[in-house]
Amino acid sequence: MPAEANSPAVAVEGLHKSYGAVPALRGVSFTMPRGGVFAYLGPNGAGKTTTINILCGLLRPDSGRVTVCGLEVSQEPVKVKARIGVVPDESNLYPELSCRRNLDYLGELYGLSRGVRRARVGELLGLFSLADRAEMPFRALSRGLKRRLVLAAAMVHAPEVLFLDEPTIGLDVPSARALRQLIRRINQEGTTVFLTTHNLAEAEELAERVCILIQGRVVAMGSPGEIRGRVERGTYLRLGLSGEVTARELLSACPAVKEARPQNGLWRLEVEALHPALAQSLAFAEARRLLVNDVGVERPTLEEAFLAILQQGQPPEVGQR
Amino acid sequence: MSQFARALAIGRKDVESYYAKPPLITWALLFPAVLMLAMYLKDPGGYLAVAPGVIAMTLLFGCTSMAAIVVTFEKRAGTLRRLLLTPVTPQTIILGKAGSAAAYGLATSLVLALGLGLLLGMPLANPLAFAAGLLLAAAAFSLLGILASVMVREVFEAMTLMNFFRFPTLFISGVFMPLESFPSWLLPLAMLSPLTHAVELLRLGVSGACHFASPWIPALVLAAYVLGGWWLAIRGFRRRAGQ
Repeated sequence: MPAEANSPAVAVEGLHKSYGAVPALRGVSFTMPRGGVFAYLGPNGAGKTTTINILCGLLRPDSGRVTVCGLEVSQEPVKVKARIGVVPDESNLYPELSCRRNLDYLGELYGLSRGVRRARVGELLGLFSLADRAEMPFRALSRGLKRRLVLAAAMVHAPEVLFLDEPTIGLDVPSARALRQLIRRINQEGTTVFLTTHNLAEAEELAERVCILIQGRVVAMGSPGEIRGRVERGTYLRLGLSGEVTARELLSACPAVKEARPQNGLWRLEVEALHPALAQSLAFAEARRLLVNDVGVERPTLEEAFLAILQQGQPPEVGQR
Repeated sequence: MSQFARALAIGRKDVESYYAKPPLITWALLFPAVLMLAMYLKDPGGYLAVAPGVIAMTLLFGCTSMAAIVVTFEKRAGTLRRLLLTPVTPQTIILGKAGSAAAYGLATSLVLALGLGLLLGMPLANPLAFAAGLLLAAAAFSLLGILASVMVREVFEAMTLMNFFRFPTLFISGVFMPLESFPSWLLPLAMLSPLTHAVELLRLGVSGACHFASPWIPALVLAAYVLGGWWLAIRGFRRRAGQ
């Protein structure tokens, strides 16, 4: 087994890149293990696309070391490109070619033999629900179908690592959802996914690790749970009761509840610890012979954590390797 | 799969996308065919004097018609980025794109030459010189086209640049009149033009006569254009692709 088989999918160390006098990346370092989904987040101009372009061998860094699948990108860009797939933020297949011919042509450039190509193209057209549009030119597809074909094109050579740059941008809800399901399926089948997105719910849904970049620096890295844990606000319990109670009654009966506020006919309880607060609330309802008609937990979302980190500017890094 | 096989794939795709289109084919063939017919009707014995020049002109326009805009066009469309993400080298891309341009230029000029041979009885005194002239000139012209394409940012700039090269070149390269009748001050300029050397090799192929003492002179000049065009096109492509 080659040494690179055990290497991380992506390892970046001290990456610097400037455009003239404008710095885009200032010492970016991170490691992306194999097998998972890694979300690379940041506001516009943070340096996400510059990072992807460097990782894909399209751009040379000013300094720093980048390896993909154990291969040094600056030394072996062609070998790296053979092992990765890229879905850029624009749907840039050949407009005049049919869906099938687009996939076949890219398969040819990735070195697949005619027989393998034919089978793979058929398989992808089926998997991405494009079989009935196989002979349709790319330009005639809807935006959602174009994104689907671009994703299929990135998978034509079964890459080890898939880079997705804003994969669901501009898609309607059903198309975006269908694409996310495909991404999850691709990942479950063994492809490591590097995802950049402005849709933080998408990142939260798909990613096991998140890296947040601000002004060319990594400011936070960890699991979505670790990132969410950085938000200073607490956990909220949503509670619906069948009769009238006051906040004072709730607070005196439930010591684990810090604050109680009525909201849209429900109670929104800020709690210190979820389990005792829930137990106390249920006991309170039982004692008052009230029915619980709604209950739920509201945790800080990744989006709230992201915004908090943005507001803080450049907080100390967490969970960074 | 070797990089050469990938270059062939790029070339085939470009032929399919750009060259195998009826308007391009008819334009490339009709214009020189009508020109030659007009010459023949005016002077049935004199058309041979310009036939090599018109074949070379057809080759020049065929090789540069799309080559001059293809890189800029694909960069605008985003498909160049797609190509750069695949495991191909800049040399492979240039070889594929120049190869398809050269193939198209060769096909149109060969159809014209065949037509002239079959319909008007154009001779072929030195087939080797004729073939060498076509091949070397096709390579040189298509690389010059690609070079124009990587030198500019917009498609219209590439077209303008290429027209500023092609049309004056027609008048200094012995296409319509032999180099022997050129004024002495124009000859050094004619010697710099790759079209001059293409015309002379084709003239040698058709009639067995050539302005130069040895056929090696135009052949070597064209070869130098091929090497220089290749080097500059790769250099320009790396710069443009990185922007």
